Amino acid sequence: MTETPLPDTIADLLGVGGFLGEAISMLLAAAIVGTIMLTMTAFAGPWAKRKITASFTDRISVNRIGPWGLGTIIVDAVRLLSKELIIPENVDRPAYDLAPIVLAGSAILAFAVIPMGNGIHLADPEVGLVFVFAIASIASLGLLMGGYSSNNKYSLLGGLRAVAQNIAYEIPLVLTAASVVLFTGSLQMSEIVAIQQNTTLATIAGVRIPAWFAFVNPFAFVLFLVANLAEVGRNPFDTPEAPTEIVAGYQTEYSSAYFVLFYLGEFVHIFLGGAIIATLFLGGPGGPFLPGFVWFTIKIWAVYIFTQWCRSAIPRVRIDQLIGIGWKGMLVLSFANLVLTAAILGVTGL
Amino acid sequence: MSTQKEEPETPATVEEGVDVSEIEALIGEHVVDREDHVNAPGFVIRADAVQDVLRALKEEAGFDHLSCLTAEEHEDRFESIYHLRKYDEPTQELSVIVPTSREEPISESAEPVFRTADWHEREAFDLVGVEYDDHPNLERILLPDTWNGHPLGRDYNQDKPQIVTFEENKNPLEDDHRAAGDSDTMFLNIGPHHPATHGVLHVETVLDGEQVADVNPDIGYLHRCEEQMAQNGTYRHQIMPYPDRWDYGPGGILNEWSYARAAEDLADIDVPEYAQVLRTMGAELCRIAAHMLALGTFCLDIYGDFTAIFMYAMRDREVVQNLLEDLTGQRMMFNYLRLGGVVWDVPEPREEYFENVRDFLDELPERLDEYHDLITSNEIFQARTVDTGYLDPETAKNYGVTGPVARASGIDYDVRRDDPYGYYEELDWDVVTDDGGDNYSRLLVRMREVEQSARIIEQCVDLLEDWPEDERNIQSNVPRTLKPEPGKEVYRTVEGAKGELGIYIRADGTDKPGRFKIRSPCFCNLSALEEMSTGEYIPDLVATLGSLDVILGEVDR
Repeated sequence: MTETPLPDTIADLLGVGGFLGEAISMLLAAAIVGTIMLTMTAFAGPWAKRKITASFTDRISVNRIGPWGLGTIIVDAVRLLSKELIIPENVDRPAYDLAPIVLAGSAILAFAVIPMGNGIHLADPEVGLVFVFAIASIASLGLLMGGYSSNNKYSLLGGLRAVAQNIAYEIPLVLTAASVVLFTGSLQMSEIVAIQQNTTLATIAGVRIPAWFAFVNPFAFVLFLVANLAEVGRNPFDTPEAPTEIVAGYQTEYSSAYFVLFYLGEFVHIFLGGAIIATLFLGGPGGPFLPGFVWFTIKIWAVYIFTQWCRSAIPRVRIDQLIGIGWKGMLVLSFANLVLTAAILGVTGL
Repeated sequence: MSTQKEEPETPATVEEGVDVSEIEALIGEHVVDREDHVNAPGFVIRADAVQDVLRALKEEAGFDHLSCLTAEEHEDRFESIYHLRKYDEPTQELSVIVPTSREEPISESAEPVFRTADWHEREAFDLVGVEYDDHPNLERILLPDTWNGHPLGRDYNQDKPQIVTFEENKNPLEDDHRAAGDSDTMFLNIGPHHPATHGVLHVETVLDGEQVADVNPDIGYLHRCEEQMAQNGTYRHQIMPYPDRWDYGPGGILNEWSYARAAEDLADIDVPEYAQVLRTMGAELCRIAAHMLALGTFCLDIYGDFTAIFMYAMRDREVVQNLLEDLTGQRMMFNYLRLGGVVWDVPEPREEYFENVRDFLDELPERLDEYHDLITSNEIFQARTVDTGYLDPETAKNYGVTGPVARASGIDYDVRRDDPYGYYEELDWDVVTDDGGDNYSRLLVRMREVEQSARIIEQCVDLLEDWPEDERNIQSNVPRTLKPEPGKEVYRTVEGAKGELGIYIRADGTDKPGRFKIRSPCFCNLSALEEMSTGEYIPDLVATLGSLDVILGEVDR
């Protein structure tokens, strides 16, 4: 199931070649993927968040501007961007300015290697999975930069919490992903998707159940889902922001466009988390009848709704409890998962 | 039944149960004079013997609850009145009166005996100008540090505006980097504007990492001179609207009742039984609404953001709010009680109103079950709240803590039962207590109290429905102008949503009170915050603050 990457498709369509042609088609492809992702995260994401949260909490939410209140997001964007960009005294300038860009940029960059189906796939390096995790973890650097450079104690606490949390949950996250790699024997994203789609787990009443890793190893799936919640900082792990405790954590001092970037960065991160889960455990763009891209979108949104559900219904754990769960619970479980998977694979020789 | 108390004839028979001769034997050497308040016998003592007297009364006579401290200025003297009672038997009351000269208003502090005197004495110093010797930290508490004079004193010029320029005013946040130096701690200002302070409260916190090394609530941002406004209003009509504005949570009718009870005792006003039932029902509806708000905002602190449980609590509170609106014509500032009765009867058609109340009560158990599913049985929630913000009963008593907070620390104290008023005595209900003393217990107690309030309302509705039509008297005859005789003093408490809400009134012969003092339960409960949250994490501090359920309007008055 190796599809032609999007840049090559575009290059063929335009009939351009050579270094310049490649560069142009690369940029065009990146623009397409970026637009798709930003529409989903910046436009539909916040709107859906409001609607989903509202239905969880017995409210109606936005419904005045545009159909189903969709226009509110445009109005909100204009409102936020037209606000004064307040930069407090004594902030650490380059770091303060870079932080929102690093956060938003790292999340969008990671989408470069995610196969979204129907050939929407920017690049397919052999180390795709490692690339995703490496890029995604840069986000915690952005959070720390923002928190530390803001010259605000709440921001500092938020930034430190973000780093403590990301370190504690990144390791279980990567270890659990490694247990998937044990099955596939490849770090290439397209390969991981292909193996899930092409292997048959069982055939029930003539319906072929593909070997999605969520079915093959549900334990790893749950571990990954929980670690991902911590990674994107949503309840019960939203301690870095913790609005009732440390005001807004690392983004306390950010306003206007910078705030939009932070906000956007977080949303893209939630969707990136969904994309990784979809790719690693839910067969990526695979699924019956509908086109691959539609399936992929459905899966991302399923994960997104799950995070919003948690956010509405589950209390936040305390920071010491959070670190405790990460290092004493998740880490041990993910090691156990990795070792057991390796042992079973070794014995059965799959 | 009426709230009227017998007028004392001789000091020896003033109150139920207080053995005056025994008290006299105990503290006789310090007693200079005797006074009689409507609610309790008063002992006038020397200003340098406050600690000895209070210690003897606390340790040997069992008066372990310093309910309130009223300071006032007379023509020839300052007076501090310590209103003492017993947690086990609040009808046993004593007033300890400490006069000092106007030239040198220095009185010994009671703080070493009762911790709660700390804040009360600071307030007395701030507003009236009595100075307390041996007080650990006698600073202004409600007014800004730059304030000149003591507004409730006689010499204070009420008409002269006090203009302090922005630069001149001491910025409460200026020592922002205090304790930075070479220490390992960080000073953090939580508030005055912060999502978790539920109003304008400033908590000066010293952090050691994420742990709270020291915490000091700085109050007064919402001080609205409520006591003075009451002193400028006539008894009959002008004071009643104010209590609604203390606890806008909404403790409305509960708060109104505190003034009604004190003033009715002061002026010997009877309340018709039918009105008492109406009051009881209205008050308990208010309690449910207030506890729902407490539950919602507490969960807001634990969950973060406006999550499901907050909105559910608001949704159910809205039903109560509608019932109260039907009854009183107002959503929050009810102004429903009148001296000697209430202002309206149940709205017509009565059957429909009773049906609405019953519908609400029928649905309530299901709602509460839902809350228990969502909150109290949630493991993360338990991990967050169990054993955090612990308050042991002895400390609680020392700080004068009352209400659900005290009952969650195992103190079986409820003014409704122990010092009955209204129609509570005739009804069948229980006082809820829990021994946990932590944030979880406080939530649990509130949720169970909602059930008890529902029981009370149900019985009230039954009573009101069957009440003979020609006996539905909502208001007794009360003179148009009330002028209680001068020198008459009364201190009365009711069980508000947050705890014991007391009113002290001294009549001066006019149609306005000579001194009007509010004993706010939130004020006392908040003073215990330091004991509860030192050594815990910031999230626990926030949760503890939420579980105390303070309404800053009532703290600052």
